[in-house]
Amino acid sequence: MRALVIDDSRAMRRIVSSILTGFGYEVRDAGHGGEALDVLNEGWVPDLATIDWNMPVMDGLQFVSAVRANPAWRSMTMMMVTSESEHTQIVRALAAGAHEYVIKPFTADAIRDKLALLGLLPQEVAL
Amino acid sequence: MTTTDIGARPVIDELIDGPTVLSITEEAWISLVGEDEVLVPIPGELPADVVSSWVDVVGPWTGSVVLTTSRRTAEDLSRALLRESAPEVLEEEDVVDAFGEIANVVGGSVKAVLPGHSALSLPSVGTAPEIRNPADVCRIDVLWRGEPIVISVQGALPALPPHSTTP
Repeated sequence: MRALVIDDSRAMRRIVSSILTGFGYEVRDAGHGGEALDVLNEGWVPDLATIDWNMPVMDGLQFVSAVRANPAWRSMTMMMVTSESEHTQIVRALAAGAHEYVIKPFTADAIRDKLALLGLLPQEVAL
Repeated sequence: MTTTDIGARPVIDELIDGPTVLSITEEAWISLVGEDEVLVPIPGELPADVVSSWVDVVGPWTGSVVLTTSRRTAEDLSRALLRESAPEVLEEEDVVDAFGEIANVVGGSVKAVLPGHSALSLPSVGTAPEIRNPADVCRIDVLWRGEPIVISVQGALPALPPHSTTP
């Protein structure tokens, strides 16, 4: 399975990428929503995108909306991974088309649980 | 002054206390720096050469969540976050990125505790914003690997003038 990790912090991209690689994902990353759209437009469409909210150039919510506007990317599952934890913000993200929401700080187990809920945890990891 | 005064705005001690800030910071540490990394709530003396990372919170309470430590400790923190992907020689942008992300995560959790809707800025790294109102500061001091770090939740606005009692 493939994952695209979108966060303006290189350190956070490393942390999320490391967790997903440990689950068997092939991972690419992007520093903001615009870069992530470039990856998708190359034809590299992942099974999962983890998306920070507050980023320069194109934020996470704009990215989610852009993905939802393109039927070719409908199969991609989008999980917000963000320090935005207000209920209204979570509702906004889900209404825009995100499937799941993880609040920073998180643990690898929290990511694993969300992936299991989404059916995106490889079977050998889930066992 | 309290929020019950006409025209008053809350100060941070009415909204969050030191143990909560410590708990928030510890949770961020475990997630970002490492599960075995311990914060000891003991004050230490900051050296002259310090660097801060912070995020601004704008809402019913407006201010900044600021982490301050020595430049060397900020570099050690950055290495801890980057782990095996840390370069042999850290660039300034590596420290700005990693130290800033810690402020972002701690600030986001502080914002979640505050009442009402607030907006969070992108993180900044450099010289901390000045304290405008000493009564609007919640500060904790910790040691990480024996090195002092100060976490300060500090208001951005000066103190209001005393409330007039004259009719």
